[in-house]
Amino acid sequence: MEIFLQSLISGILIGGVYALIGIGLTIIFGVMRVINFAHGELLMLGMYATYYLFSLFHVDPFLSIFITMPLMFLFGAFLQKIVINRTLASPPQNQILLTIGLGLIMSNSVMLAFTSDYKILSTKYSSSSVRIMGISISLPLVISFAITAVITVALYWFLLKTDTGQAIRATAQDREAARLMGINVSRMSIIAFGLGSALAATAGALISPTYYIFPQVGSAFTLKAFVITVLGGMGSVVGATLGGVLIGVAESVGGVYFGSGWKEVVVFVLFLLVLLFKPSGLLGKSTT
Amino acid sequence: MTNRAFRPAAPLIALVVGILLMLPLFVESTYALHMMILIFISVITGSSWNILGGYTGQYSVGHAAYFGVGAYTTMMLLQFRQVPPWYGVWAGAAAALVIALIIGSICFRLRGPYFVLASIAVAEIVRVSALNLKNITNGAEGILVTEIPPWTVGGATITDWQSKVPFYYVGLVFALVVILVSRLVRSSKLGYYFQAIREDQDAAHSLGINLTLYKNAALSISAIFTSLAGSLYAVYVGFIDPSTVLGLDLSVQILMIGIIGGVGTILGPVVGALVLVPLSEALRSNVIAQGLINSGLVREDSAVGAFLKENLAHAHVLIYGILVVIVILFMPDGVLGFVRRIAVKKAKA
Repeated sequence: MEIFLQSLISGILIGGVYALIGIGLTIIFGVMRVINFAHGELLMLGMYATYYLFSLFHVDPFLSIFITMPLMFLFGAFLQKIVINRTLASPPQNQILLTIGLGLIMSNSVMLAFTSDYKILSTKYSSSSVRIMGISISLPLVISFAITAVITVALYWFLLKTDTGQAIRATAQDREAARLMGINVSRMSIIAFGLGSALAATAGALISPTYYIFPQVGSAFTLKAFVITVLGGMGSVVGATLGGVLIGVAESVGGVYFGSGWKEVVVFVLFLLVLLFKPSGLLGKSTT
Repeated sequence: MTNRAFRPAAPLIALVVGILLMLPLFVESTYALHMMILIFISVITGSSWNILGGYTGQYSVGHAAYFGVGAYTTMMLLQFRQVPPWYGVWAGAAAALVIALIIGSICFRLRGPYFVLASIAVAEIVRVSALNLKNITNGAEGILVTEIPPWTVGGATITDWQSKVPFYYVGLVFALVVILVSRLVRSSKLGYYFQAIREDQDAAHSLGINLTLYKNAALSISAIFTSLAGSLYAVYVGFIDPSTVLGLDLSVQILMIGIIGGVGTILGPVVGALVLVPLSEALRSNVIAQGLINSGLVREDSAVGAFLKENLAHAHVLIYGILVVIVILFMPDGVLGFVRRIAVKKAKA
């Protein structure tokens, strides 16, 4: 029982970070109908930025998000404006290939610049833990979950209450109608991609004290982001939040009961089950 | 359309096939043969993908599953049961067919981006399973085959597989068969059903086309040939492990061959293979840096020359990525479509 509780709680905590990755992907998909195959690579860039801010300038990884987030927002906005925007009207296979190509460029540039060695970011608190009701939980996980919660709440506020946020949601709902209502759709796309990149990079920054950092780390997270997004319903921000936590728990509990080698299979089987019985996702609308 | 002007005439096809059949008699370079074998394998996988992705419009990003299942079946039978590969190949194809029908029955209920993601997920399940079922697949260590039994028919030895030539011919035959099948499928009733599904699923359905049946038919053809390529690759290279024959990277590579040349055309995957295979080999083997130095464009002792020599080989995937992005941005209908458009412009001028 204690093991179950422990894996449940750490699953929820890491699930918060997964939710950030999923929300970023789902906003991009919602606004532009583009599946971003480079999403994990954006996260990887966030990890490297955090690592070098820490090792060169001694910036605490959790504080570094104040630098990483705006930086990666600009990077994402730039990518959208210069590259991805040109293919919005192209058939879907072109968008898939384009984002795959961009992902290859990012991971291999990083490999050329910083070699493919595994890097470890170890802070004073990397391996410390807190005990809550007799269950010990890794401290960095707790901090990153708290930050995730704050960011998620801020994001909901942004999307629900601000004009820009409402314009983004309107664009996601119906691009044509939004354009007719006078919304600058291409600007919303730029903001959406910037936001997605910033969220992915933040997730990268938050997990960097507990993960190995290497150029190819992204692809595993791209897959995870897909699973989370589809689970929640593509384009649904609430769904992605829920999906992230669910995947975190499935991975953590599955790893304990089926062995860590099979935990990915648990996640993918869960994914397929949802796709089969509710293809629009847990919170998705039934229309495609 | 401009299609007719570019349909290669029968004599031209006969000439190309004739040259390819005679090639090993004149070419002694094992490297050239090696390149040709890799191109054949890519043509097979790209054309197979094209039957499902190009004709039927179902963009699978999980074709490594069929490639890997073929490769694993053949290699496991060869290494652990001493079954010669020319039987194993067909067992591999049968296994890939079974997997394809299972995957198809799950994934074809989904459409568009959902299908793309589901195809990735099932391929990942196959990869992680191969990684974890250590007692039958050897897990992450992979399978290394040291000895291939000679191929004998009625006492006469056809080949002992010592050189690259037998692999060349097997690859050539498989590639020609796939292209032929692509051609036959395209101009048959089956192919018209596939294309109707690609253009508009609901309309096709309302005209009485059984979507599940025909999508699975396209996937079955596609999976069988992909597995043949996988088996050929496995026996030729002699070593497989889950990440090389079942990984997402391979699925992406297969997809690229199918798309870069021109999606949904017979020659597209051939062009894709002819462009991508030599390109990635050239980038990997540093000939480009050497070529730039030899041609006098870059001085070897200059900083740029030294940098290129040092880094270009490591950067091959980077350059590959840049090229993919450039092709998508500037040749949205693939290389073949781009060439056609230019030719049409010239003809008009």
